[in-house]
Amino acid sequence: MTWWQPLIQAGAVPGSGSKGEEPESSERAELVEDGELQAHPIPPAAGAAPPPPVSFLNGMERWGVRAYDGVIPVVDAYVAAAIRRRESGGVLHTTGERHRSFAVAAVDSMTPKLRELLEQSVGDIEPVDREFVGQPARYLEQVEAIVRRARTHLERELAEAGLDGLGADEWLVLDGLLSRSPAVARHPRSLGVIKSHGAQFLEGRGLERALTLPVGHRTSVFTVRGGHTRTETYSWYLRLWPWEGNDLLYGLLRIEARAHPETIARASELSRWLWAERAPLATPATRWDRLLYPLHQVEEYLKALAPRDLQMHRASRLPRLSA
Amino acid sequence: MTAIGRVVATELKPSTPHQFHFWTATETPIGIGAIVKVAAERVVYGVVTEGFAYSDLATPLHDVVGAEGDPARTDAPTTRQQIRYWTAAVLRQMPEEPLQPVPLGQVFVADDADVAQALRMDAFLYSATPTAIPVGLYTSAGRDAPVYVDADFLLGPEAAHLNISGVSGLATKTSAVEFLLASIFAHFPAHKGRIAAVCFNVKGPDLCFLDQPGDLSDEDRRRYERLKVPSTPFENVRLYAPLKADGVNLNTLRTHPDLVGDVEPLTWGLQEVVDFAEVLLNRDDIDAKADAFIDYLRDRVLGRTFDDGFGTTHRVQTFADLHSLFRSIFDGLEVLSGGRGDTWRTHHIATMRKVRNRLLNISTRCKGLVTDDGPSSDLPWKSFEDRTVYVIDIANVDPLGQDLVFARVVSKLREQLERRELGVDAVVVFVDELNKYAPGDGPDTYVKKMLLDISERGRYLGLVLFGAEQFRSQVHRRVVGNAGTQLFGRMDMDELATPGYQVLTPATKSKLATMPIGELMVRHPHFTQPIFVRFPKPPVLRGRDGVERFPPAADVPFEEAVVRLLVRLDRRVRPNQVKDLIADREQDDVRRALAAARQKRPDDVFAYFRKVLGARVESEANLPREHLAVPPLNPISDEPY
Repeated sequence: MTWWQPLIQAGAVPGSGSKGEEPESSERAELVEDGELQAHPIPPAAGAAPPPPVSFLNGMERWGVRAYDGVIPVVDAYVAAAIRRRESGGVLHTTGERHRSFAVAAVDSMTPKLRELLEQSVGDIEPVDREFVGQPARYLEQVEAIVRRARTHLERELAEAGLDGLGADEWLVLDGLLSRSPAVARHPRSLGVIKSHGAQFLEGRGLERALTLPVGHRTSVFTVRGGHTRTETYSWYLRLWPWEGNDLLYGLLRIEARAHPETIARASELSRWLWAERAPLATPATRWDRLLYPLHQVEEYLKALAPRDLQMHRASRLPRLSA
Repeated sequence: MTAIGRVVATELKPSTPHQFHFWTATETPIGIGAIVKVAAERVVYGVVTEGFAYSDLATPLHDVVGAEGDPARTDAPTTRQQIRYWTAAVLRQMPEEPLQPVPLGQVFVADDADVAQALRMDAFLYSATPTAIPVGLYTSAGRDAPVYVDADFLLGPEAAHLNISGVSGLATKTSAVEFLLASIFAHFPAHKGRIAAVCFNVKGPDLCFLDQPGDLSDEDRRRYERLKVPSTPFENVRLYAPLKADGVNLNTLRTHPDLVGDVEPLTWGLQEVVDFAEVLLNRDDIDAKADAFIDYLRDRVLGRTFDDGFGTTHRVQTFADLHSLFRSIFDGLEVLSGGRGDTWRTHHIATMRKVRNRLLNISTRCKGLVTDDGPSSDLPWKSFEDRTVYVIDIANVDPLGQDLVFARVVSKLREQLERRELGVDAVVVFVDELNKYAPGDGPDTYVKKMLLDISERGRYLGLVLFGAEQFRSQVHRRVVGNAGTQLFGRMDMDELATPGYQVLTPATKSKLATMPIGELMVRHPHFTQPIFVRFPKPPVLRGRDGVERFPPAADVPFEEAVVRLLVRLDRRVRPNQVKDLIADREQDDVRRALAAARQKRPDDVFAYFRKVLGARVESEANLPREHLAVPPLNPISDEPY
């Protein structure tokens, strides 16, 4: 018998997992539904699935060091985003797609000859502050932040463009924060689906209820302010798969919708829609428990179009033949 | 033209010069057997040989989890990403040199012109002297393109022969051959001369109604128009059938009063049989002594005035004469040698007894086909007609007799084609049931040797074998191997598991195992891969329908049968006169007179018949009739022969 089995026999919930997501800044949420945060079962009969058509937006990023000018890494980056619409047959068709290929480098610190060559060959360059030169780890962190920002920007642009082409009853479901664009955040038929839970909005009893939310339940709706625009949205947690035996964040989604009383009224119905998206499973994605299959398919679509030489494989450290 | 797919090549599944892979939309008109065209820096034609469908599902368990263990759940709002992935075998590349792997490019459904290019039909379809024979319609992928085979490779001299395999009872093998004969007769090129077909009807009424129209659907008629083959029954059909043991009723299922008049009796006498005496001898019989004695009979006895050395002169022309000769020799050896003589003209008495038994046995076993005496009735040797089908109905004949008919007819065809005196330049010989006549194992029979001979040398003579069988794997390898064109109907899965089908993909085998009526897989020297085609229902009455529409008549009494046969020869013949004439005559005498009239075909048949009967057609053997037929040997008899 292991040392933790008596704990489980005494009432502890079995679990698994290890280090999860990086913590982000905490925000104070205000409940707009119920006096204190409650777990609401998803009503079985309230709308089986999202009404067709529904559009899904997702993005992707890839980058890799291509050359060194002294100790300055010169990075090749690629970001892309796409919207794919699901029609009545359940098949996705691409309705919008954007991508950007660019270089990332501390151009101010590069040798003049190589800088000139870089600027001649690449029209699109994102600069890195010269303060990071000489600190490889921080330099690459900065590169990652720049690429992520570019991706976010691309997704925001595409989402805003996508709203213009949205049909009368059509919903737009985004992978990530809704609040990155005020226009999107205020749209009556847009939803943000957040898989990462680095940012903490609840505390105390409410936090415990949210993290131990039973499968097939949602929490009460609360307000959050997210993105650099600090746009207010309504949000709630939704558990797609039972966390018992896994970790507290297993199958846990945070949903964002516009800050409007109608959102509170439709929170259960919307949760039911998203609950129906559990099938098909978004495997073989590692975070399939929180990734909706249509968003996974958009990501796969983008990966298929992305340059193959920017795959996210780590370079082998094994010695290679000189040839 | 809209692309329906794109070639994909990966390290694991690369394109090669002979094979490529492509994907299509989930909804696509193509399937196994479809011909496609890749348009890139070079044009490549291919035929789809394998198909795959799969989704992004990593393991079936994930589907179970997604459906929460309930297979009835169908409420997943998004359809899994899936692929239709096809493998195609290259039919042709243009340019053909240098031969390179298939390039990446868009894939299109082949149109009529593409099909002609892909199957290299352009060379013989659009030449100054076209030799194209329609074999069916390529109908995959919603197309309707005629497919042709090259007469030079179907009927010689480049290659020849056709073999068709398929399970029984699906009206494919016989129907396909009937359609193909109609197509050959309609399209056989003038510069290649005249052609006829000889079909052996070996089971039921299969080929008995080739001159009668069958029921065709509008779709069948449209296909005939598309292939430019007339949808009418064969204009010239000659049907031959032996007589029954009574010597007057025909041994065929085509005895309906409306049709029986077109059936010619097939009867042979000693002269016709003895040349093929080897057919009658089984493996154990064949020895130098028997051969020598048969040769002696042929060279020195038959048709000649012959002294037996015991004081009797013979002229052996019939089985009855032969029996008389043997009796005289055996009596002579018994009586004149005091029972001690056992050799006559260097031939041992046991050898002579064996040959006598075999030869006279045939007249018992095949009574009706072989006559004890009287003239024979045969095929129109040296005057075969162009575009004519000669059907020989031997379905109800003893197997030994079938072998004899086959051996003699094919030998005569070969002999006369060799001398260019048959009347036509090429003859298609259709033989069903090759499993029986040319099995891969078993003894080397005379018939098997003849089939091998046609297969290997017939194309130079214009003697073309169209063979059919149920199990191709069990037919002699050289017979099927020499068939330049091969057709496959629906096949048995066990047969498809044999090594001969290893070159086919599992998908192609699966298609073959479920092939509908009217569809065939064709292999032809010009086609680098097997092609699936549809052919229309033959324009003739099927055997079983023919028997329903024209039920066979019951055997008529002897007098009535004689009347009918004479009336057929001369419509002026009055039945009562004939009946009065033959009322007090021996049946054998009447049969001889009838055969003589049939052979002579005089202007006044009745007068000739009366004259021959009145003069009593001479039978040189004044022996009791029951002695003419020698019963078969008892296999466990103590007789040394």
